[in-house]
Amino acid sequence: MAQTILKYALLVLAALSFVYPFIWMLSASLSSESGLGSLVLLPEGFTWTNYVTVFTKIPLGRAFLNSAFVAIITTSLVLISGAMVGYALARLDFVGRNAIFYLIIFTMTLPFQITLIPNYITMVRLGWVDTYFALIVPFALSSLSVLLFRQAFQGLPQSLIDAARMDGAGELRIIFQILVPNILPTVLTITILTFMGLWNEALWPLIVIRDEPTMTMPQLVTLFSVGGRADAQLGVKIAAAVMLAVPIVILYLFFQKHFIRSMATSGMKD
Amino acid sequence: MAEVLLKHISKAYAGGPTVIRDISIDVKDREFVVLVGPSGCGKSTLLRMIAGLEDITNGDLLLDGQRINDRAPKDRDIAMVFQNYALYPHMTVYENMAFGLKLRNMPKDEIRQRVTRAAQILEIESLLDRKPKDMSGGQRQRVAIGRAIVRNPKVFLFDEPLSNLDAKLRGQTRIELQKLHRDLQATMIYVTHDQVEAMTLGDRIVVLRNGDVMQHDTPLALYNQPANRFVAGFIGSPPMNFLPGRIVADGTALRFESAGGAVSIRLNGSVHQQALAAYAGRAVELGIRAEHLTDQPMNRQRSYFSPEQLIVFDAVERMGSETLAYFILEGQRFVARLSGDSTVDTSVGVSTFWDIDKAHFFDADTEQTIR
Ligand SMILES: Nc1ncnc2c1ncn2[C@@H]1O[C@H](COP(=O)(O)OP(=O)(O)O)[C@@H](O)[C@H]1O
Ligand SMILES: [Mg+2]
Repeated sequence: MAQTILKYALLVLAALSFVYPFIWMLSASLSSESGLGSLVLLPEGFTWTNYVTVFTKIPLGRAFLNSAFVAIITTSLVLISGAMVGYALARLDFVGRNAIFYLIIFTMTLPFQITLIPNYITMVRLGWVDTYFALIVPFALSSLSVLLFRQAFQGLPQSLIDAARMDGAGELRIIFQILVPNILPTVLTITILTFMGLWNEALWPLIVIRDEPTMTMPQLVTLFSVGGRADAQLGVKIAAAVMLAVPIVILYLFFQKHFIRSMATSGMKD
Repeated sequence: MAEVLLKHISKAYAGGPTVIRDISIDVKDREFVVLVGPSGCGKSTLLRMIAGLEDITNGDLLLDGQRINDRAPKDRDIAMVFQNYALYPHMTVYENMAFGLKLRNMPKDEIRQRVTRAAQILEIESLLDRKPKDMSGGQRQRVAIGRAIVRNPKVFLFDEPLSNLDAKLRGQTRIELQKLHRDLQATMIYVTHDQVEAMTLGDRIVVLRNGDVMQHDTPLALYNQPANRFVAGFIGSPPMNFLPGRIVADGTALRFESAGGAVSIRLNGSVHQQALAAYAGRAVELGIRAEHLTDQPMNRQRSYFSPEQLIVFDAVERMGSETLAYFILEGQRFVARLSGDSTVDTSVGVSTFWDIDKAHFFDADTEQTIR
């Protein structure tokens, strides 16, 4: 009994320590600049002005649409390409299949920073700087997606593919009409992980996009916060950060269970 | 018309050993041919090559005289029923059966007609809106057959379709498959490792072992005139009894002497005398089925053998219709099939009578039947 109480006490404490900064952030975004110093939990000197300022100073709506567009298109491409490559690696016989698979796995171990410069140069050469292509194409194939699709396809019986082939289905139809509908949890996992990663990505857009109407939300908010346009007003910066977090929080509320499962399957947690 | 001809077909998986060696089989129009053999002998591989799911390494595959080696599975007019049914889990029974027809751009009305008709034949009309996971194994099995029937193919392939069913359902389905074959008048090629299935279903049976054809004949021919020791031991339940030994010629007397010396059978006057005379001094193996070993003296005129030594059974199974009595002779497990009302018991010496004309002799080196 005493042990149970202790356990819960610790868990509550841990939960509070995670939640508190978030609550503080929400409250701060709704406080007046002068009230920030004395802020504990609830907003001090409640006001919407911080949000009004953010929306008047930067095109946050446009950035939201850009982010959504880029994230949705890229995630779709990641799913399509991942399913196709994963299928080939799982089910087709060809020379070098394993070598290619290990090469793809190897790329997962490379930190993004290493490929940053070469990728940037590629974008410049292709003339894609300041276009959506630069935000979408480099991320359209993900090794994690390939890996997860491959594993999921390997778990399905070969006879399912054989039956579809005898029924007259081609490879693409087999992948998307026969196999994918039977591994929806994997699809959801990849969708969530990819979408979140893309949504939060700030570094790459900062490098390839300088044109404000093409900027994504994290980029715009980062530039706004550190670039001096917030006039050193903390409340305004925080309001911008809240706007950045809101879509993910809403998604999380809808797909809570799958979020947790996704994190567990991928073994990643940041 | 649907004749399938396999001419010198062989198969080697990339970087692997040859799993099918130079096999030639003819399947006649409307014939029910069963490929039978122990697990791993290449039955599925052979069937998958006929279906087009596996490349043929060497040889020709002919359907009605046309070479179809390089034809895609969907263009072969061949349907297949898989061991695990392979129904599409996310589709209803109707959609499962209609899928192949839709891909062939068949008009909706005709699809509906065909599916309904197949569902009637298989008595699964009430299941059409169900998903596979909401059905029993037997029902899934019917849907899998239905998916093949709607295509109205020239040839049906079955890969161990009954092995996931329980014994009772297996027996029922076997009978229904026979009926289906009669009703559809189609050519069928059926793979199983179960010799009972093979014997009951096949017009002709192909016995396979390690990628080679051991014998290709009617069920009764396999049973009564096995071509070699493997077929003799594989076909029939309980399995045939075997006893290694040699042929001894002593003047005009010809005998089979068992390796341990406990059995010495006079062959003069038996149907085997002529063929075995050439084997004098050589090692052979005697094979005799359980029903040709009895505890009742034979009053027929044929040659029989009765060991001087009494046999002591170590286990007796009374099935009602018959009695199976087991004993060990020179280290070999033997079984005799006695009448249902036999009173034999364990631990008592019994005289046995062996119907030598019904026995088989195999060359110990080649394992071929000596004829
Ligand atoms: N895709 C494959 N690659 C390599 N070897 C295989 C493959 N499929 C089957 N085999 C081998 O071929 C042999 C025959 O297999 P199979 O046709 O499935 O036998 P059966 O159906 O009679 O049990 C086995 O030894 C098996 O290991
Ligand atoms: Mg098999």
